Amino acid sequence: MIDRVKRLFWRAALADHSYLFLFDPPPEDEAISLDCETTGLDTSTDEILAVAAVPVVKGRILTSQRFEAIVKPEVAPRAESIKVHRLRARDVEAGRPMREVLPALLRFIGSRPLLGYYIDFDVRMLDRYAKELLQVHLPNPRIEVSSLYYDRKYGKAPPGTTIDLRFASMLADLGIPALEQHIAVNDAVMAAMAWLQLRDMAARGERLKRERRRDATAAPLGA
Amino acid sequence: MSTGFDAQNPPFDRLTQQEVEELRAATDIGYFTPGETIVASGRPSDFLHVVIKGAVEARDGEQLQGVLGPRDSFDSRALVHGAAGEDFVAAEETLCFLVPRATVQGLIARNAGFAAFFYADVSRKLEAFSDARKAEGGMESVLRSRVRDAMHGRSIFIDASATIEQAGHAMREGNSNAAFVRDGARIGVVTGMNLAKAAVLKRLPLETPVREVTHFDVVAVDEDDFLFEALLSMTRHGKRRLAVRSGGGFAGFLEDIDLLGRFAGNSQLIPGRIDRARGLDELAVAAREIQDQVERLHRQGMKVEVIAEITSDLNRRLFVRLFELVAPPSIREQGCLILMGSEGRGEQTVRTDQDNGLLLAGPVPEGELAAFREGFSGALDGFGFPPCPGNVMVRNPLWSQTAEGMVRQLRHWVMERTPEAAMNIAIFLDGVALTGRMALLAETKAELFAMMRGEAVVLGRFALLIESFATPSLGVLGTLMASVGVADDAIDIKKAGIFPIVHGVRTMALEKGITATATAERMEALVEGRSFDPGFGRDVVNALRVFMAYRLTTQLEAVRRGSVEGEALLRPSRMTAVDRDILRDSLRVVRQFREVIAARFRTSAF
Repeated sequence: MIDRVKRLFWRAALADHSYLFLFDPPPEDEAISLDCETTGLDTSTDEILAVAAVPVVKGRILTSQRFEAIVKPEVAPRAESIKVHRLRARDVEAGRPMREVLPALLRFIGSRPLLGYYIDFDVRMLDRYAKELLQVHLPNPRIEVSSLYYDRKYGKAPPGTTIDLRFASMLADLGIPALEQHIAVNDAVMAAMAWLQLRDMAARGERLKRERRRDATAAPLGA
Repeated sequence: MSTGFDAQNPPFDRLTQQEVEELRAATDIGYFTPGETIVASGRPSDFLHVVIKGAVEARDGEQLQGVLGPRDSFDSRALVHGAAGEDFVAAEETLCFLVPRATVQGLIARNAGFAAFFYADVSRKLEAFSDARKAEGGMESVLRSRVRDAMHGRSIFIDASATIEQAGHAMREGNSNAAFVRDGARIGVVTGMNLAKAAVLKRLPLETPVREVTHFDVVAVDEDDFLFEALLSMTRHGKRRLAVRSGGGFAGFLEDIDLLGRFAGNSQLIPGRIDRARGLDELAVAAREIQDQVERLHRQGMKVEVIAEITSDLNRRLFVRLFELVAPPSIREQGCLILMGSEGRGEQTVRTDQDNGLLLAGPVPEGELAAFREGFSGALDGFGFPPCPGNVMVRNPLWSQTAEGMVRQLRHWVMERTPEAAMNIAIFLDGVALTGRMALLAETKAELFAMMRGEAVVLGRFALLIESFATPSLGVLGTLMASVGVADDAIDIKKAGIFPIVHGVRTMALEKGITATATAERMEALVEGRSFDPGFGRDVVNALRVFMAYRLTTQLEAVRRGSVEGEALLRPSRMTAVDRDILRDSLRVVRQFREVIAARFRTSAF
């Protein structure tokens, strides 16, 4: 409800009417798996270095039609973030500035729902640029893979259950082979894989098994 | 940018880097829910599917043919030939790479190695497969090299009327230890050793014409022959030097020393050792060398048939020599030593057990026969040949008796119509005569063929043995076991692949009175006699080759482990995707072949 009101408000406040398509009704059974690599985790100051958007249409992850861009930040990436995403200053130097990337990305995404692992973070990052550069918000519905996973795995779990929602743990649990993480397109593909499986399991009412507590907390015996 | 597509996974490992990139760029990923049909039998497919995670069952109607797991791909038939051979159904939550048909077809057109994977014809696929095998371990050069590359020295020609002294000088000047001798139209060979023996041992005068000491039964190879063929020839003829033909004449010699550097083995030396053995202990040494030889040749990537041929040849020599050493004159006079079962068919690769017998033209003293039975089989025990589990050995009086008695016995088995009796007939049918009164076996077999002529019911009973073991579906067991946590998915290829083919072909050979014993030769005779479709015949023989190749590998492993247990067990989970694909195709051939046999001999009537 609040979301609907927000969307209406954003739609009314949209400065550039060429972005009205963002508010179109989303196409049937299509989504965009989105992932950003950033200089850090602060959405108000950190910058996007790479972005990947992979369409997921009717059970298929269309990697062949993905959107991928390296972004040239205003400030060069710092050492600690380079360790995570391995995009060095000279890698991003070859990128395009966000003001060029963003319009193309938004047109690519269209009104399709955005899915990802902690998708709010990625959307907040993009939103900041969108507001600055185009005076638009991303009104797209969001699909949070970790919460779908929580439902399948820990929904109705007894109190005291150790909850592990880490990306790598979730992928391992679903049997999805780990691609090299922190490459935007890989993260997007893995999140899409997880989503397709979780969505299907939810439709079939199937749940993931929880390990017994002792497995999770078993201490080495030192034998 | 990679999306996890493994280009090292066959058949994609045959693509160039650029081709891999092209393939990756075009590839999508599909998700399939448990129970979903991904490709339907008889239907085309827009994609080549490569499993990322999950399990896909290949089903033929109700029958589960196989379970594909990560890195397996399907279905080449649906993709290239427009009709899948089976249903492919997701068994679990499954993700697959989807490589578009157009991309795969483009790559097939450009890359022959990659294309081989997609051949419909099992035979062509298998050939490509064995070629790929050859490349392993860097032995390609040895196997591809020809006699021309290994021989050295010029050829020296001497006229037969020249003296042995002149011959000696000519050979020294030519720096060669052998020379060709021209005697009118025929050409012979004389060696330094021949000359030395003539002068020293026979004290022939130096003026003796060289013709007198020349041997004209020249064993020759062509300079374009492969080296391993030369090795085979040396082994078979027990020669350490071969004449090399070129065009219409002789170009020189190939000596075992020329091969030694290339082949780690010494199989060409073993026949000499066997023939020279003067006692059982010396023969035991040669027996051990045969065993080592198999492994060495295999490591060099030599083709299985060639290894089988060499081993079989050497084993036969060994048995003959043993017979000569152990048999008393009465048995040597009356007897015919026969090899049966897989040894008889020449399809044994690493020796497994003793399958031999003795036919006698007439009675011999009971005491001598008893001593020989024990002496012969006992010696083989000592050489490390495990006794035959079915007790088909000289030691067993049933298998060492007069030909007359054997005919009675065969007639009895034909009447008996039990599986055991049928198996005994099968074993006998595969027999080959090794030494002694060779005609005795052929005469006895002729009696057997006569007994079976027109006996549709008897033949049907005989054919029924093929149903002894069901052809398993690749991987069914695997998934079942894996799902309960026992990671074992072994297939007994002897029961699943080799026996049905061998026995089916054997049954038809029995029906048609074909005397050949090797399965490939029997099939050839069947095809020639228009009793069998040539194309399918080739598939059947090739499938047998595949099983034998895998069998050899498992046997070698068993030998290394020092235990014959599980020597025919194959574990698909440890095979590459291509190997598994080949195995699946081969098992499919076996299944079709069973149906042909069942229809022909109406085994369902029993």
